[in-house]
Amino acid sequence: MNVETMWLVTILGAPLAAALLLPLLRGRGARMAGWIAGLAAALSLIATFALLPALRRGDVPALGFEWIPAAHIRLALHLDWLTFPFLVTEAAVTLVAVVYTWGYHRPDERTPVFYALLMLFAVGMSGTTLADDMFLFYIFWELMLVASCALIAVWGDGERRGAVALKYFIFTHLGSLMVLMGLLMLYDATGSDSFSALRAGITLAPGLVTTVTTLFIAGFCVKMAIFPLHLWLPDAHAVAPMPVTIMLAAAMLSMGTYGILRFPLSIFSPAQMAPFVVPMMVAGIVSELYGALMALAEQDVKRIIAYSSVSQMGYILFGLGTLTYDGVAGATLHVIYHAIVKALLFMCVGLVMRATGRRRIAELGGLGGAMPLVALCTGAGALAIAGTPPFCIFTSEWMIFSGGFHTAHIGLSVLTLFGSLLTVAYALWFVGRIFFGARPEGLTVDRLPWAMVAPTVLLAALALIGGLFPAPVCDWVAHALPLILGGAW
Amino acid sequence: MTGDVWMVLPLACLAGGAFAVYLVARLLTSRNDLLALLTALVFAAALVALVPLFALTGKETGFLGETRFLLPAWGHFGEGGAFLRADPGGLVVAGVALGLGLLVTLYSGRYLALDRRYETYYPLLLLLVTGLVGMVLAADLFNLYMFCELMSVAAYVLVAFRRRLDTAIEAGFKYLVMGSVGTVIILLGISFVYRETGTLALPPLSSPPTLGGKEGGMGAPGPWTRAGVACFLVGLGIKSAIVPLHTWLPDAHGRAPSSISAMLSGIIVQSAFYALLKVSLGLGLPAHDLGTLLIVLSLFNMTLGNGLALVQTHTKRLLAYSTIAQMGYIMLSIGVGLRYAIPAAIQAGFFLLLAHAAMKGLAFLCKGVCHFYCDATLIADLRGTAMRMPLVAVAFSVALAGLAGVPPLAGFTAKWFILMGALRSSDALGYVGLAVFLLNSLLALGYYLPLIGTLFTPPSPPELGGTEGGRIRVSPWMAVPVVVLGALVLAIGLYPGPWLNWTADAGGYLLALGR
Repeated sequence: MNVETMWLVTILGAPLAAALLLPLLRGRGARMAGWIAGLAAALSLIATFALLPALRRGDVPALGFEWIPAAHIRLALHLDWLTFPFLVTEAAVTLVAVVYTWGYHRPDERTPVFYALLMLFAVGMSGTTLADDMFLFYIFWELMLVASCALIAVWGDGERRGAVALKYFIFTHLGSLMVLMGLLMLYDATGSDSFSALRAGITLAPGLVTTVTTLFIAGFCVKMAIFPLHLWLPDAHAVAPMPVTIMLAAAMLSMGTYGILRFPLSIFSPAQMAPFVVPMMVAGIVSELYGALMALAEQDVKRIIAYSSVSQMGYILFGLGTLTYDGVAGATLHVIYHAIVKALLFMCVGLVMRATGRRRIAELGGLGGAMPLVALCTGAGALAIAGTPPFCIFTSEWMIFSGGFHTAHIGLSVLTLFGSLLTVAYALWFVGRIFFGARPEGLTVDRLPWAMVAPTVLLAALALIGGLFPAPVCDWVAHALPLILGGAW
Repeated sequence: MTGDVWMVLPLACLAGGAFAVYLVARLLTSRNDLLALLTALVFAAALVALVPLFALTGKETGFLGETRFLLPAWGHFGEGGAFLRADPGGLVVAGVALGLGLLVTLYSGRYLALDRRYETYYPLLLLLVTGLVGMVLAADLFNLYMFCELMSVAAYVLVAFRRRLDTAIEAGFKYLVMGSVGTVIILLGISFVYRETGTLALPPLSSPPTLGGKEGGMGAPGPWTRAGVACFLVGLGIKSAIVPLHTWLPDAHGRAPSSISAMLSGIIVQSAFYALLKVSLGLGLPAHDLGTLLIVLSLFNMTLGNGLALVQTHTKRLLAYSTIAQMGYIMLSIGVGLRYAIPAAIQAGFFLLLAHAAMKGLAFLCKGVCHFYCDATLIADLRGTAMRMPLVAVAFSVALAGLAGVPPLAGFTAKWFILMGALRSSDALGYVGLAVFLLNSLLALGYYLPLIGTLFTPPSPPELGGTEGGRIRVSPWMAVPVVVLGALVLAIGLYPGPWLNWTADAGGYLLALGR
């Protein structure tokens, strides 16, 4: 086992070990549980970055052995340039969410289990991106659902959490089943569940290509919460405890993007994907507009940001749908930047909710004076999500739009561009209603724990730095995409 | 021939054990734990005695369905020759039954304190499994019928074991009436077959081709044999709870002691189904036709089982309806395999049978623990289980999540292979089955997940009729089988290789039988 394999195993192994060990603490080590989880998440992130030089050298860190020989199923992990941006996003979001949990979560005897499930959720996400065979991919894919669903069902806000968790599970599982069928059709065609067989190139009957692509895109769109498959998202995001919401919105949604990039886009040539260009672009636009409009109409602060995710995922699907280098690269960049900004916005919402104990936007207002730092961070987040330079999302939106204008569908691209005005509207309106204007009667502001404020400030800074110096992140994205769009893996 | 002795040894063990346990209970001791240990020993001995059969059937390689299955044959009855014959599918069923029986016996070592009457319970449990093993290994219709009756009678009594409860008596009586109708129909079928062919033997695979080019001793089936097959389909269909002949099952499985429900739902129903497959194929029903019939019937089993499970308020009735649904999955997979001649699909069906035995057995045993300590019968009574008995709550969740097909548990791996098999079907019926299966696996989440949720919901406070939520120490007699089965559910899911190998030959065997 060389060093690269060791780091590769650490990415998954550290959170997995933490998840298995934490429940053993029982009620005694509620505070220690937080530190252990933080350590595991940090190790996972460090291990991810430790593999960056290897990737730059052109190595492909991988690991694999026979698992179920009778069915030609191998257990294999594999890190390549397509995986890397997603892996960094997940690991970083997990770490930030765990730190935020230190302040957010009031320790009790079930706290170790809470952290253990957060870690399992993280394992599910990293495993999904690292898996190099279908069986393993699907196991991790469902692990993230199971772990997040358990977190919502037990630690969610309000009496409806059980029903919301059930809805979340069943709805998302519908998407998973579509993905599963797509995977099995590929498995059946290649006779092996390993992705290396896909990389070697497969030929499918044209009818099968359409079926498989449709299943994959529809299935992954459920995870991305593209209209009209988004129904699970607002409830799940609004009810989930804040760290889980952060991980759902900032990291898990992008798993759908990864899936679309990994399967239909990588396996099939652009010519085979051509019939899906317009449907994907249109679905993206509809989602973008619908999410933004709903965000304008919502009253609950958490649901506003949740609907903003529906809108932002619309941009990403639009970018993927263009099948141009700019569009797809922009979409991948958007995954990373959206993770930063969405985590930031949810953290700000969490801070406001913690400080005031209220979550209806009509009952909030004039908080700018009482919590200036939070107001500043929220302002940065709102400007960023609206695509204002020099914040980071500007870069990715620029590339997505540019991708759109490289296609033959200029009309659709113009529509997206103007649709983004709605984003500006809800973002600024959101900040204005909470932090400016008159303060309602009886609105008090509590002290906030540093563990919740520090990651928020960090993310606000990252949103700015990412916009000012986009080059390193663009570089991560730039390696895999030319290959994908060339039709080869 | 050495095979002869091996063949009869497991049955002799079980039947002899039943008498021995009864005598010990009457004469020496009536201590539950000792009797449970003794019965467990009998099961273990029978399991050990079964092992050489695997070696025998697996020894000769080459064309499937040749002499390798006939090797262990013993005794002479009528003109058929063999009285017992081991085949790959039957060995899977028998092995699962003995394993589950062993764990259920250990579990009863404490659980039975609720009911007492140990001297009846353990011998009946042994006779139940004797009947089952004899039935799946029988090589002629007479023995099949006798063993089937032995199994059924033991099952009727065990369902009504809590004789002070009118509901248990009612369920047992209903089971008795419906089961006896099935038995009579089977007997009628046997007489039809005998009338035409003059033999009761099920043709061995290795018989030389006779009339009509059909392998096996009987030639192309005539009208009476066809009528006989129809009788078997109905009679054994009742015992294997094929919709619409399933109506006894929710009552019987819902009212029996949990340990017995685990056996009934886990393997008894499936063994009757295996007998149905073996007899109808052996009597000349073409595999393609039987497959078609099974796919069509499975649609009803899946949908009705899951649909009715959604509205249940009793935990055990919910699990019973889930058994009907899971039987539908097994039928679908085996049906697809038979109709399109895909051995892998049949293998997947057997794999689910095995996985289901572990999952459903575990679910019923966990339910039994809750019943034993907290007197829980309704789903709502299970609230707070996680706080009182975390181990049981986790194991119960593993069982339910496995049944729902959540990776990486056994049910998911079975689902994966079933879908793989169904994908290879070559016309619309297979795809309809596939679609209904997928929809049902979504529908089933609607009752498995809330049940898991209930386990982890805090109990309602005492003033609202809830019970105090102190931590309960679960007796090791019950904890060990629960932990073993829970580990099995995980192991079958994560490392299915050995279990797949075990079921590998069943598909080829059934297809060869049904040519």
